[in-house]
Amino acid sequence: MAVRPRLRRLVAPQRYQPQTLDLFAPAPSSPVGLQTQRPPSTEPRSRLQPAQLWLALRFPTLPLLAVPDPDGIQAVVEGVAGRQSVLSVTPAAQQLGVQVGLARAAAEIRVPQLIVYERRTDLEQHALRARARAAFAFTPFVSIEAPDTLLLEIQGSLQLFGGLETLLARAQQALSTALMPVLYAVAPTVRAALWLARGRAGSCVTSVAELPSLLARLPLAVTGFDATVQATCERLGVTTLGELMRLPRDGVARRLSPEVPQRLDEALGRVSQPRRRHVLPERFMDSVDLPADGVSTAALQPWCERLLATQERFLVQRDSAVAQCRFRFKHRAGHPPSLLVLERSWPSGRAGEWQLLLAERLARFVLPAAVIAISLRSGPVLPAVPLDEGLVGGGREGRAAAARLLDRLRARLGDDAVHGVCLVPEHRPESAFRRVRPTLPAATLNDETWPGAPRPLWLMTQPEALRSRGDAPWYGGPLKLLSGPERIESGWWSGQSVARDYYVVRAASGARLWIYRERGADTDNGWFLHGVFA
Amino acid sequence: MKGSLDAILQDAGVWRGLDPALTARTPRCPSGWARLDAVLAGGGWPLGTLIELLLPAHGLGELRLLVPALRRLAVATPGETPRWLVWVSPPHEPYPPALAQSGLHPAGMLRIDAPQAADRLWAVEQVLRSGSAAVVLCWLDAVDDRWLRRLKLAAEGQSVLLVALRPSARRGTHSPAALRIEFVPAAQGLDLVLLKERGRAPTRIRDVFGE
Repeated sequence: MAVRPRLRRLVAPQRYQPQTLDLFAPAPSSPVGLQTQRPPSTEPRSRLQPAQLWLALRFPTLPLLAVPDPDGIQAVVEGVAGRQSVLSVTPAAQQLGVQVGLARAAAEIRVPQLIVYERRTDLEQHALRARARAAFAFTPFVSIEAPDTLLLEIQGSLQLFGGLETLLARAQQALSTALMPVLYAVAPTVRAALWLARGRAGSCVTSVAELPSLLARLPLAVTGFDATVQATCERLGVTTLGELMRLPRDGVARRLSPEVPQRLDEALGRVSQPRRRHVLPERFMDSVDLPADGVSTAALQPWCERLLATQERFLVQRDSAVAQCRFRFKHRAGHPPSLLVLERSWPSGRAGEWQLLLAERLARFVLPAAVIAISLRSGPVLPAVPLDEGLVGGGREGRAAAARLLDRLRARLGDDAVHGVCLVPEHRPESAFRRVRPTLPAATLNDETWPGAPRPLWLMTQPEALRSRGDAPWYGGPLKLLSGPERIESGWWSGQSVARDYYVVRAASGARLWIYRERGADTDNGWFLHGVFA
Repeated sequence: MKGSLDAILQDAGVWRGLDPALTARTPRCPSGWARLDAVLAGGGWPLGTLIELLLPAHGLGELRLLVPALRRLAVATPGETPRWLVWVSPPHEPYPPALAQSGLHPAGMLRIDAPQAADRLWAVEQVLRSGSAAVVLCWLDAVDDRWLRRLKLAAEGQSVLLVALRPSARRGTHSPAALRIEFVPAAQGLDLVLLKERGRAPTRIRDVFGE
């Protein structure tokens, strides 16, 4: 160890300082300003009940998500090619001696039947977000600490759950599975909780005063300081946090990194460490990979229902509902994904109500190819409003029934097959109304009327060209003029200009018709049937 | 003897001819046309049952005939849930400006388009079962009379005006409708022939829209 004397020489002049934690008290001569940010209120607070209590939940086997068969002899590696090391191993591989941290080549030589997979950080993040969603059951403050940890502020939740023990048991039950066990640590500071979860899982510290002695025993590796800092520490012979804490503060800041004393202050509760709160996304998104290709819509249904059930849990936590669900079916390469959009006229979070709609639509859905994965993306998350918002009267059941009817009709006939209408103040007859999304029957109708000449109750979707005898129109016989002409000239600004003379005539059959003749030089001045006074 | 007869007469399956007590049991809505109301039992369209209108062509005044009743039914009584006026697969566009001129507000309309007859019948049944329609007008052609019976049953007990509009060519087929009316265009206005109404022989109403 040639370096050691040199370093000792550097450090030696300051070793006379008392070897206590007060080493980290701000030194007036400190060349780096970071350490001097010690809040004056820290000491009194630490003797009282801590204002915050942090629960760190760590999922060490999260990288195993990349492994398709958790029962096989498999491992997940990370690193650049050639220098990959084992990140996580399945229990079967572990029994054969594959250890975390082993070089990939070494592991493969030791266990030839080992199958190695690259790490899938996308899957891990996805899973961690899912666990963060579940963690909202325990506290409103959840923070995601990449790559594998969740932080929950639980001081406010202790009373609700009847103490720390119960809360921990409940959290463990809710979040851990056989393959993905959860390691936890409780500490009054964010940093301490995170480090303890890595180095001494299961620790429960509730007062700041206990922190120094407990943290001192942790190996340096838990800190996640960058590789050069850790290597330097190793060369200094510093392997635990306690040894690091004993080093002079400004020396550490200068030699290692100004970040190091800062982090230690955070861990010991001397400076506060704000966390970014994980905000639940405004939409629900989840996906599922099918274990076997889904060739029929019937095979997809249970998976879709599972996604809807997950969505329900998500929405219940937020007291919310959605009015739209978009299913995306992923096919094998070569086929673009197909989309199934479910809409309801009234937002709902209940999986059961969505399942009815899903069954209707799925039964009519044509799959272009086998499905390998399904994802569900909700529409905007809306506040859950019960259907009894009507004014006076027992409108609740009626409105709910009407909303359900709309959903059922649209599910089977399609969104375009069901609509309402509204008036548009417009002279062109075919533009005087518009189809609109159906709404629930209105409680009050304003007595809107349509001014001007009488209009026919039936309007032809397309004006029907009439034959003419000489100059007169003909419709199963000669037509008798009742009134007209009414000149309608409009729309020149929109490119759909009309110039017509409308007449009301009586046909031989007795029907009253609304016919018009095109005006203008460039038309053939033909007659058209546009409506019937039915 | 009297008691046992009463028991038999209570049975809905027993046909009793023109009985005021029977006609009073079904709620009615005045049609708004004096000549028609004068003939219809109870003085109006029967609600909660199936009415069948048989038309040789569209546009003979079928909407004009129905509009006064629609106007009455579309307005919700205070304290009652508002209900839709439902159009199922009309052959043309029920023209909103004209409806507004007739006193029917478009906001109360629900239009359902179903090209397949099976979907159409299904939709009508769903609408009836939801109880959220005051009026259901549906355009049908060849239909299994079992389906019509289903619709009639679905409407029973509700104050809903259920009208099936079918081509005159279907006059000969069996129908469970409580009231069947055929449209006959005449030289003077429109004649209606009441093909079937409980306890009545076919009747002809001349120029129904006349004064």
